[in-house]
Amino acid sequence: MTQPKERDYFTDPTVLMDPYQYFEEMRPRGPICQLETHDCLLVSGFQECVEILRNPTDFSSLNSLASSAFPLPFEPQGDDINQALEANRDKYVGGDLVVTFDDLRHTNVRSLISRMFTPSRLKANEVFMQSYADEMVRGVVEQGGCELVNQIATPYVTMVIADLLGVPPADRALFEEHIAQGQTVGSIENPDSPTDMSTLEFMGGFFYRYLEERAANPGSDLLSELITTQYPDGATPDILELVKLAVFMFAAGQDTSAKLLGNAMRYIVDVPGLQQQLREDRKLIPWMIEEVLRLEGSSKATHRVARRDTMVGEVKIPAGKQVIVALAAANRDPRRWGDDASEFKLKRPGIREHIAFGRGSHTCAGAPLARAEVTTILNCFFDHTSSIKISTEKHGEPGARQYQFEPSFIIRGLDNLYLQLEGH
Amino acid sequence: MANVYVTDRQAHKQTIEINSGNTLMQAITDAGVADLLALCGGVCSCATCHVYIEDAYLDKLPPKTEDEVALLEVSESYRENSRLACQVRLTAAMDGMQTQIAPEE
Repeated sequence: MTQPKERDYFTDPTVLMDPYQYFEEMRPRGPICQLETHDCLLVSGFQECVEILRNPTDFSSLNSLASSAFPLPFEPQGDDINQALEANRDKYVGGDLVVTFDDLRHTNVRSLISRMFTPSRLKANEVFMQSYADEMVRGVVEQGGCELVNQIATPYVTMVIADLLGVPPADRALFEEHIAQGQTVGSIENPDSPTDMSTLEFMGGFFYRYLEERAANPGSDLLSELITTQYPDGATPDILELVKLAVFMFAAGQDTSAKLLGNAMRYIVDVPGLQQQLREDRKLIPWMIEEVLRLEGSSKATHRVARRDTMVGEVKIPAGKQVIVALAAANRDPRRWGDDASEFKLKRPGIREHIAFGRGSHTCAGAPLARAEVTTILNCFFDHTSSIKISTEKHGEPGARQYQFEPSFIIRGLDNLYLQLEGH
Repeated sequence: MANVYVTDRQAHKQTIEINSGNTLMQAITDAGVADLLALCGGVCSCATCHVYIEDAYLDKLPPKTEDEVALLEVSESYRENSRLACQVRLTAAMDGMQTQIAPEE
């Protein structure tokens, strides 16, 4: 009897609809297994993912946007390919963005980000976030409902990061429009070029001008802080490096934060009793968000390439081998989370250790912002409604819901979520 | 070559070579010390890189920010020599410094 052919993680629409079932199909092959469809490893074990993410010495982030779907642009030779990787950096999509940097270049640029989303900074932004969320939610409650993802979540997170950075209000809608029209990262619909940078390139010219203006007249926003800051060794960053960083910070978190709100709302409505529990005790909202991040985080996977021959657990990984670090699989690994790993459970022990935002030196720096954004707007929804329902007309009955997901092998989130909102 | 020394929760002591410019958090995680969770990745938001610093070196460290103080003071394991390793950028002046990972909370 022939075995059924392995599904293609990068292009199969059934994997897009339910990546968790795919990961469970693959899990019996071991926490690290070779794919049949591509020359790369799938890492689904929690411990193994953490080990790789925390080992930048042996694993490069150069392919984190390009993914493991494509062969290396050179023939790896020997037990150490560091020089060849750097020599081919310009062949990688996003090779000039912080998310793909290694070593000193990463340390330097990351040092600039590390002060951007501190609690005091977010506190200072709280008034804007709260008032903007309140205004948006009031409006849709008056209408009796909304499409959450595009009507609320995306414009909300765009405005929040724009306010933090200091993007002029006049340009915000223009960027929002460009981001909405652009291709998702890791598109399954464009397998030859799943990630393109045209939206970031479009915004680059604008951010160059903003930074020049802030250099002449610094204000209190993040762009002013960026242009006046230095690397740890006292050197002044090149303005083009800052432009790329600012554009990336503006664009990178948008889709993932917006998707997190959609994913959270889906659980709030569909987990029996959860909505009422949260209404009665708002202090449970952060716990709910962490469990949603574990079960349905906005990033399914990131990617690494072995810089030299190494071992993860008992598995030998040769220099040049690419690995899919399957965050979503690790976050449901029964060895880490128990037999109920796939179930929603408030206040799950050790929940803060999930890897929805990654781990190690490339951990998502915007995670505190995403948590604050989602907490703030969910509180507004509870403030202004007595009941939130998912439209059965659009999505079907509970237990038989039908959803469309962003067609990406990186992002996990709803394309749309239609809600019915009952005011007080 | 400059080194710092880190003692984990099992009292195992490890020597770590310093690269100036790195944070103490990065140096400890790069050395494979699993006890230091460092969940937020160094953005001063989670306090899971809490360490104790040898008293003699405290004045060689950058001062604590309000954010760092706020996170440390709510820790049950807070001591006068507590620091968040992500907020300690390493310099050659820290050569020989002893550090200890704070208890898990």
